[in-house]
Amino acid sequence: MAGYIIKRLVSAIPVLLGISIIVFLIMAMIPGDPATAILGSYATPENVEKLNRDLGLDKPLVHRYFIWLGNMLQGDFGRSFSLNRAVIHEVMERFNATLILAGTSFVICSVLGVAAGTVSAARQYGLADKAITFSVLLGISIPSFFLGMMMILVFAVNLRWLPVSGMWPIYGARDLSSLISHLTLPALVLSVVATGVIARLSRSAMLEVLRQDFIRTARAKGVHERSVIWRHALRAAMVSIIPVLGIQAGFVLSGAVYIEIVFQWPGVGRMLVDAILKRDILLVQGGVVFVAACYVMFNIAVDVAQSLLDPRIKT
Amino acid sequence: MNFLHLLARNRLALAGLIVMLLIVLLALITPLLPLADPDVTNTAERFKRPFEDNAMLGTDHLGRDLLSRLLWGGRLSLAVGFASALIAAVIGATIGIVAGFYGGRTDNVIMRGVDMLMAFPYILLALAIVAALGPGLINALIAVAAVNIPFFARNIRGVTVSIAHREFVDAARLSGMSDARIILTEVLPNVIPVIVIAMSTTVGWMILETAGLSFLGLGSQPPQADLGSMLGEARSALITNPHTSIVPGAMILVIVMAINLLGDGVRDALDPRLRSGALSRPMPNTLVRRKDPVPETKTDALLELNGLKTQFHSNGRIHKAVGGVGLCVEAGECVGIIGESGSGKSVTALSVMGLVASPPGVITAGAVHFAGQELLGAPYETLRRLRGDRVAYIFQDPQATLHPLYTVGRQLVEAIRAHHPTSRANAHERAVELLRSVRIPNAEMRIDSYPHEMSGGMRQRVGIAMALANDPDLIIADEPTTALDVTVQAQILSLLSDLQRERGLAIIFITHDFGVVAQLCNRVAVMYAGRIVEEGPTDAILNSPAHPYTARLMACVPELGRGRRELAAIPGLPPVLDMLPQGCAFADRCHRVQDACRTGNISLSAIDDERAVRCIFPETPAMDKAQ
Repeated sequence: MAGYIIKRLVSAIPVLLGISIIVFLIMAMIPGDPATAILGSYATPENVEKLNRDLGLDKPLVHRYFIWLGNMLQGDFGRSFSLNRAVIHEVMERFNATLILAGTSFVICSVLGVAAGTVSAARQYGLADKAITFSVLLGISIPSFFLGMMMILVFAVNLRWLPVSGMWPIYGARDLSSLISHLTLPALVLSVVATGVIARLSRSAMLEVLRQDFIRTARAKGVHERSVIWRHALRAAMVSIIPVLGIQAGFVLSGAVYIEIVFQWPGVGRMLVDAILKRDILLVQGGVVFVAACYVMFNIAVDVAQSLLDPRIKT
Repeated sequence: MNFLHLLARNRLALAGLIVMLLIVLLALITPLLPLADPDVTNTAERFKRPFEDNAMLGTDHLGRDLLSRLLWGGRLSLAVGFASALIAAVIGATIGIVAGFYGGRTDNVIMRGVDMLMAFPYILLALAIVAALGPGLINALIAVAAVNIPFFARNIRGVTVSIAHREFVDAARLSGMSDARIILTEVLPNVIPVIVIAMSTTVGWMILETAGLSFLGLGSQPPQADLGSMLGEARSALITNPHTSIVPGAMILVIVMAINLLGDGVRDALDPRLRSGALSRPMPNTLVRRKDPVPETKTDALLELNGLKTQFHSNGRIHKAVGGVGLCVEAGECVGIIGESGSGKSVTALSVMGLVASPPGVITAGAVHFAGQELLGAPYETLRRLRGDRVAYIFQDPQATLHPLYTVGRQLVEAIRAHHPTSRANAHERAVELLRSVRIPNAEMRIDSYPHEMSGGMRQRVGIAMALANDPDLIIADEPTTALDVTVQAQILSLLSDLQRERGLAIIFITHDFGVVAQLCNRVAVMYAGRIVEEGPTDAILNSPAHPYTARLMACVPELGRGRRELAAIPGLPPVLDMLPQGCAFADRCHRVQDACRTGNISLSAIDDERAVRCIFPETPAMDKAQ
């Protein structure tokens, strides 16, 4: 097992390099002069030139990439000019908040999605199946930012059950219960689309498995239908559901951008949008690379989980 | 047109199509409608409610007419969504076709790049692109298209790879066509349906994503507005004037939902598996729908089948797999059912405990009595209690019939505990014992193996051990040795025969092999086209088959040591089970056929105390010799 994990980690190195190259190239496409963007159009040519030199922008592209990569490997993602703060500090702090939000959503959508898909398949063409199929369709069609706004309107403004926005109360204790009350709406809204997609795929994976011979064997043994569905069929279906969970984790992480804006959650997505609007390129670059790298690592964890679940995978 | 017909049958997809057509029509005629200018601000008239003064949907925070903005915004959102889908499809398909067509190094390099792009959380990449290009609707369009290119490239590549080595492509190559021409004339036409499906399932996403970027303020810039930026601008007035948010939000929902409904319909209509009903799951019990009165039990045999009819209903066609089978099995007796593939022997066996997959299977007539209890139509719990406890099954292919992800020990323990609530430790001990009783060497170790770690013969022994777990009265063995090689087959047969004698088991043994029948069975029933055509003691039938089919079937068996005798394959094919002929189903293949064979219903009639045959001109021992 340890060998397998190391093998997967090593195979992630080219992917991580690829990600850094892609981000670097995208940022290198930026028209105009970053130094001018930072200093404003009234800057003197001397100042622009000096900043260019300080930023290493007078060197060739490949050279600049390796400097950037080397710095990143040492934990130096540069300095955000709009926040006047080290990019890595800002990103880590914001990523924490995103992780709480996206992590909770991921748990919700995995559990709900798989359960809904399983029930739907077990009751194919029944009332529960139709209700779930329709809810799923609604869930994947509604823009999450719109749903978030409507939820705020209903549950926070009209019913006053939950806070409107933010991660912590402005006054008062920053304890778990206040976090949960702030987290509930955004985490639920963020999980809606992924729940729908996972439910859909779980349903078809279950239908696929339920036609297999070993299900008939389980029934012929006299195993109760509950166990046939939730133990035999779901266990086998999980093999094809797990990779989907990995992909959906990426969608949850991405979708957090909208939810963080709507609910004023102090996460990395909101930071990125602010940074783009302020043209704070180093912050965007650092944020994107950092989150993408974390996502790659998460996918390795998914692969490892998969190998634990399926003894046929050689580790 | 078949496709449109299928689409029309799916009512939801049709609804989606109609809504979508309406929206597109509205978007097209928007410039012609007598609408207020969507961009003219009039702060005095701001935040009007719907239907207040002439504003049908009210006005926004700058006093602009919401209906007008909605229609113009919807037009823009649709255009941007479709454009990005089209761009992504064209570029993605090109990349996919090139990678799939050329293969090798080209393919490797391209797909590595695609994988890299797919390693990004989706929107993050779009954000990075917008960050580089700067906010703006066209830039948002480019970003959304770009992040969707890998999806198309990967899908199209898969299809292209499967086409690139087909005969017609090879033929085109040999005829000296250029690569470009082969791609355009041979490959592309076959790939286009896949591109259409991929587009129909992603265009909704694209509209959502472009609207999302606009919502974040990174897409369309004021005063121009698509639905996303309308929603973004309305957000600050969400609490005071929710209608300014609800109007554009609901519009996005309606558009995307219509597209998704339509997309699902298109996908379903093009998916052959869905059409054949192959995607439905079997219910825990076979459906029983009997119109005729249920036959009474006639004997006190352990198992009695009476007039059993099992059919498969799919796509309006009815396959009569089992067409009225009667069979008795006494306690401790071994009965063989023999016949070609598709003769209905397995379906008969599975019908006993309601294990025929349903849908599409339906039991339409007959009765099954086990130890005096009627099983057809019995409640699920009654059947479940009997299954594996008093009536156990052994199936053909042990690779597919054991759960691949559980150890054999766990599966045995489960079989025991399904009927006898005992501790896991006790059940485990009993499981080891069972594995020993089917002569699995080193049972204590093997019990922790997964099925894929065992040989076919070992797996079948596990299958037998599982059937024995609760000391059943009857074992139904459905071709348990067919998948095994001859030596292993002999071992399994002698094992079954020993177990039968030791435990006084009754066995129904289904096979197409007369050798197996001779070795194991007291009585045998020969099935053809869903019915029993001959029945009687094994020796009698083997020595002097009465039905011409039995005789021909036995002549097909090669015998060792008899020199190079010509094998007499039966000419023709079994009849199609949804169009059974009148009279004898074997008539068309029979060398003794006469006109009388093709009319009426030929019944299974006794030829002596123990034997019965469904034939009006049966073979007789004397004639057999004469031949």
